[in-house]
Amino acid sequence: MSTPKLNFPLLGTGLLAAGALTALLACSCGETPTGPEATTPAGERFMGNGRGNEPTVTELGGPQDTLVIGFQSDADILMSVVYQSASDSHVMSAIFADTYNASMDCELTYEPYLADSWEFSEDGTQIEMKLRDDLEWADGKPITAHDVAFTYELIRDPNVASPRLTYTEYMAADSPQVVSDFKLLWTFTRAYDQITMTAHTGMAPVPKHRLTDADRSTLRGHPLVREPLFSGPFKIDQWLPNEKIVLVPNEKFTGPEHMKARLKRVILKILPEYATRLVELENGSTDVMEAILVADADRLRREHPEIELYRRGWRSMDYVAWNHFDPVDYKAKKADAGNDLDWKTVKPHPVFGDKAVRRALAKAVNVDKLIADLLTSETGEVYARRSVSTITPALCNVHDNDIQPIGFDPQAAKAELEAAGWVDTNGDGYREKDGEPLAWTLMTNSGNARRAKGAIIIQALLKDIGARIEIETVESNTFFERLRKKDYESALSGWSAGLFVDMSTMWKSGEAYEFNFPSYTNPEVDALIDQALAEPDPAKNSLLWKQVQAQIYEDQPYMFLYWMDEIVGVNSRFKDAKVDILSPFHELSTWWVPEDEVKYAR
Amino acid sequence: MFSYVVRKVLLAIPLLIGVITLIFGLIELSPGDATDRFFNPETPPEVRQLIEQKWGLDKPAHERYVLMLSNLARGDFGRSIFQERPVFDIIWEALPNTILLSLVSLLIIQFVGVTLGTIQAIRQYTPADAGISIVSLFFYSMPRFWLALMLQLIFALVWPILPSSGMTDAVMHDYMSFGEQLLDYAKHLLLPGCALGIASAAGIARYMRSSLLEVIRQDYIRTAQAKGLPESTVTIKHGMRNALLPIITILGLQLPWLFSGSVLVETIFAWPGMGRLIVEAIFTQDTPVIIACFFVFTLIVVAGNLLADILYAVVDPRIRYS
Repeated sequence: MSTPKLNFPLLGTGLLAAGALTALLACSCGETPTGPEATTPAGERFMGNGRGNEPTVTELGGPQDTLVIGFQSDADILMSVVYQSASDSHVMSAIFADTYNASMDCELTYEPYLADSWEFSEDGTQIEMKLRDDLEWADGKPITAHDVAFTYELIRDPNVASPRLTYTEYMAADSPQVVSDFKLLWTFTRAYDQITMTAHTGMAPVPKHRLTDADRSTLRGHPLVREPLFSGPFKIDQWLPNEKIVLVPNEKFTGPEHMKARLKRVILKILPEYATRLVELENGSTDVMEAILVADADRLRREHPEIELYRRGWRSMDYVAWNHFDPVDYKAKKADAGNDLDWKTVKPHPVFGDKAVRRALAKAVNVDKLIADLLTSETGEVYARRSVSTITPALCNVHDNDIQPIGFDPQAAKAELEAAGWVDTNGDGYREKDGEPLAWTLMTNSGNARRAKGAIIIQALLKDIGARIEIETVESNTFFERLRKKDYESALSGWSAGLFVDMSTMWKSGEAYEFNFPSYTNPEVDALIDQALAEPDPAKNSLLWKQVQAQIYEDQPYMFLYWMDEIVGVNSRFKDAKVDILSPFHELSTWWVPEDEVKYAR
Repeated sequence: MFSYVVRKVLLAIPLLIGVITLIFGLIELSPGDATDRFFNPETPPEVRQLIEQKWGLDKPAHERYVLMLSNLARGDFGRSIFQERPVFDIIWEALPNTILLSLVSLLIIQFVGVTLGTIQAIRQYTPADAGISIVSLFFYSMPRFWLALMLQLIFALVWPILPSSGMTDAVMHDYMSFGEQLLDYAKHLLLPGCALGIASAAGIARYMRSSLLEVIRQDYIRTAQAKGLPESTVTIKHGMRNALLPIITILGLQLPWLFSGSVLVETIFAWPGMGRLIVEAIFTQDTPVIIACFFVFTLIVVAGNLLADILYAVVDPRIRYS
């Protein structure tokens, strides 16, 4: 049911999904979770409860117990260069040694893993990286700088068609250079945000000695993709397609003691259906379930004290996109001009082409009511906060907390619509302008109950100010296709958060930016985005991104609704479970069970 | 008989081409394609182009259609766009599981349907007959996915005596003895088998009731009764044998229902079979997998019907195919 189109993983094997946000279009998993003012059920904030002082496997007397995770879908491609899905990413982060150990504290932070140390040059265009010399592939060969350089050679090769090609966009053609077996020099054509630069060097390496002669055009079909050469704390013991993946400690893992697996087995049980995953969590067949619906959270807390509920804070957002162009005119002109279409020549949408109208509409929709109706549990737990930007509030250094959300004020909305020329001239309850009614279609995707209900509430609220909305629910692939082709008037859609900031894909103007669904055009924002992308100084960078956010919010190309938390249930016998915005099962090797709580002795 | 079978097999070819053409057309009409999953806002256009070229998606639909048909004619299902491995391998992993589940469902259909229908016929117009009729109608009218969810809720959560998903116990199966493993398989088959088969069993019960009622009014049954044979012998040996003939034909026709039902039931019970495979392939728009799944489904349905025809001739000496 929920096979999210383009819902790419945020993190896995040191791989951060490129871009500020990734689409969350077909996902029905949306009834997920709060506001900054809400407290979490477990009394924890959004970073899980990993304290970093968990016992080592030696202190535990060896690996203990089995963790069973209810996995939404099977993994497919276990190779960093070409992997696709969140499932791939979760498995890879357990079986491969990442370049860095990433964590989130207002921004991405990186700790040493394969990379033992790294240093930026003074001008910010080079990184000198020293690798650990004690990490090995499962076949006993050391992981070296040659593997890292080869990995980036593959990414650059057009025959591989790696989705991560943009990682190398600002890298020199010969970067990274191998200085010695365990030392690399990364050279960039320009300095930019250092967090992003670091992330771009963080691809988990592939074994050069096994892939040198591989046919690069069919890399996704290479045997190593399904029978990988492990280098991380776990290895795959059994992989029954569409049934389960069994991970066991990689006894050849030569990394430091604190990274060694503390669990005897991790079973990723493939359960595509939400109801099944919930039943299995409740009857104890599984220990972890992600994307629990708000409607089920209270009951789980009441009936299952053994299940601890965590929040993955501000993981995804919903918004209403207003198409600034007349879709018919855009289609005709696009057919003629193709990618050379000049947006200035396209006829604006009669309603949404006007910024004053968009701001009036924002005042007519009570977002707090939407949050109360859709994302608040019966006991009053709030699992969302108002959004003012496409930057997740989890990136608190970059997210602009000073933006005041537009308040619910239907009277002001009516007055502003009248000032913009939209008046009910015939007394039918709906406004008109130049004979054209204030009416449009609100498109949303099927299979998402939250958005379906939200669309109805928005429809009712806008009716109160004299706008006639027709809701159109379309199949998810169609929905996404129509957004990209701008074949819609307004759309209730969503994004999941990316963790390094690049707002260009969504907000820069021009045909090159097809994820700019509303066709938002503001030369000032274009220029600010370019400046921000080129600014390596974190403080200045943050300031520029905040200016971008403020200007976009002022222009209201979206009606920004809310950022949601995802609820993850974990059996409480697992200690130091790291459930955070990076992953619902982050650093599985550090999860552990006290001896007196072990469920599976073998 | 042989020429009949050959004729039927030959007739299946245009049917297969028709099904494949229909499915191909439907996929073409739906927006997007499998390569959409490879893209995110950061994917460079040249990468998109390369991926599309690689999978031939830059070619016009008619060219891809002809290519697909010629590949299928050579028994080449191609490679999955999403998993980039041979579709044959993917289907080979899933097909035995679906066949196993379908066979169990057929057994449930046969056993439950025939038993209930027989009881109803023997106890015609009694409260038992009426009760079974109502219950049969209830289950017959029930959507399979809802029945599956209810079975799961009742037997895996409220009264947790059966597993709710998978083919085996994900944690303990490998540590079980051979006997325990067999029992483990059986337990995991029960709920999906019932969810898939109960509705059809209810239908079979109705057929069986009317068929048996018709048979036991025949003269030869009266003769058997007049000879003083026990009622059970008359019903089971003489009555049921003939009453079962139409049921065999109906069982052959159950196959399409079983396969269509497996799409939902396998997803709910996380059964790694063809039904689930086809759902995932449709969501990812993995055309080669979708086409191959429908190809295999169609083949099985044709084979099932043919088998029913043959069985019919075997059990009823009056039937002769020419």
